[in-house]
Amino acid sequence: MTTREMSYSPQGQEIDLVRDSRSGSHAKGPVESEIVIATEAMEVYYGAFRAVDAVTIDFHARQITALIGPSGCGKSTVLRSFNRMNDLIPGALVTGAVRYHGKNIYDPDVDPVEIRRRIGMVFQKPNPFPKSIYENVAWGARINGAGRKGPEMDDVVQQALERAALWVEVKDKLQESGYSLSGGQQQRLCIARAIATNPDVVLMDEPASALDPIATLRIEELMFELKKDYSIIIVTHNMQQAARVSDMAAFFNVNLDDRGMRTGRLVEFSPTSQLFTSPREQETEDYITGRFG
Amino acid sequence: MSSGHDTNVHFHRELEDLERRVLTMADDAEHMVEMAVTAAVTGDLPLAASVIELDEAIDESYDRVHRDWTNLIARNQPMGSDLRKMAVLLQLNVTFERMGDQCVNIAKIAQFNEALPRAERIAEKIREMGDLVRPMIRTAIDAYLRLDLDLARSLHSMDEPVDRLNASMYKETVAVADNPAMLEWATKMLMASRALERIGDQAVDFAEQTVYLVTGETVSLTKVDRTTQANDR
Repeated sequence: MTTREMSYSPQGQEIDLVRDSRSGSHAKGPVESEIVIATEAMEVYYGAFRAVDAVTIDFHARQITALIGPSGCGKSTVLRSFNRMNDLIPGALVTGAVRYHGKNIYDPDVDPVEIRRRIGMVFQKPNPFPKSIYENVAWGARINGAGRKGPEMDDVVQQALERAALWVEVKDKLQESGYSLSGGQQQRLCIARAIATNPDVVLMDEPASALDPIATLRIEELMFELKKDYSIIIVTHNMQQAARVSDMAAFFNVNLDDRGMRTGRLVEFSPTSQLFTSPREQETEDYITGRFG
Repeated sequence: MSSGHDTNVHFHRELEDLERRVLTMADDAEHMVEMAVTAAVTGDLPLAASVIELDEAIDESYDRVHRDWTNLIARNQPMGSDLRKMAVLLQLNVTFERMGDQCVNIAKIAQFNEALPRAERIAEKIREMGDLVRPMIRTAIDAYLRLDLDLARSLHSMDEPVDRLNASMYKETVAVADNPAMLEWATKMLMASRALERIGDQAVDFAEQTVYLVTGETVSLTKVDRTTQANDR
């Protein structure tokens, strides 16, 4: 840890993202304007192909930000870049910077596992582990603070399930398989698992697209609850969902070059109330009114 | 407002149809202003009856537009300029229905005034107000159709002489107080003046909706002049 770098959160807590560190210190931003994640001309390449053109956005604490746009616009690629999930794809490269509380998460000394602990992810298809409900959540908690056992772990599991609005439904069957739950419950279990690692950002990639309308609304209600403590960035194909849940919205579109290569590009980042009623950009207007080619 | 292919053709057709029906109400209202003023000033009862008939048609149109509007928004959840247009049409539907009601208020004066002595000066002012208000409705329609902000904003200055004439009408009424029958007639015409002033304001509201449709900003085109009007009275 000779080259350990510390970034500084506005609260005064040092945030330690460096390899071999498990200090567990967890910054919660004290003011509304705190920026949790800031991208600076971030570009994503798959080999020589540029998938996403320069993206510069500030994501604020305890807000829900929606990333919207047509298929192939790069919104999921952008989301995955925020906790280095693209590292897992051979040939993927992120340039520019993604600053988490000021620290570029692509700096060579940053531990991607620590990043994924602090910046959790919920996927389109609920993906509980083939284990009990309890163990699914305890897994997340163990990542956060190894060695927790017995009543201490019970408390952590209960708290995460309560925050994910699932406790009441599962408290009497914690040892049953996660697969025994409905799709909507499984997704909330995955959210409980994600927040059991004590992150301060939760990324959601189409979290409700596999769910029925009632389960979808429960997830959306849960998001409103979660944003009291977490910053949420959600990718959604459902514009109405983005309009319902988000505070800020980013619209991405696709550029097609001469060789037919599609590159995603940030068109507009605005308060949701503006983006869906009076967007600044004609391109956004064309997309949200269904006039695009 | 499109720069590409429309993937929402069905909705946009229904929205255009709704828009056409709402604007037809404005056309009718413009026509009704002329009929109502003539009926009131001349005591023409059949003409007054025609105004009432036209208003019934506007009321029916209002109900249908309101029902179809609700249906359209429930099924489509429009956004951007489509959402603004939906908001504007809902407002205009109410505005034009009320214009129709004001025209009926004016037309009904005909039946009271038939046998009363008229004050030519007052009749002339009422006609003048009608001649000022009708072009206001026409201009507001044109501004909407062309999405012309300058034209929409011109409604404010067009409304000023209407307000001035309405403000002067009280003095004109007092001036005929020596003749009780003529005073009764003048009092009814004071109501007509008030109704025309309201229609002028509604035309300005219409223009404000056009500004919102184009810019997304709510504006008051008359706000500046409230104090001046109060002083005139």
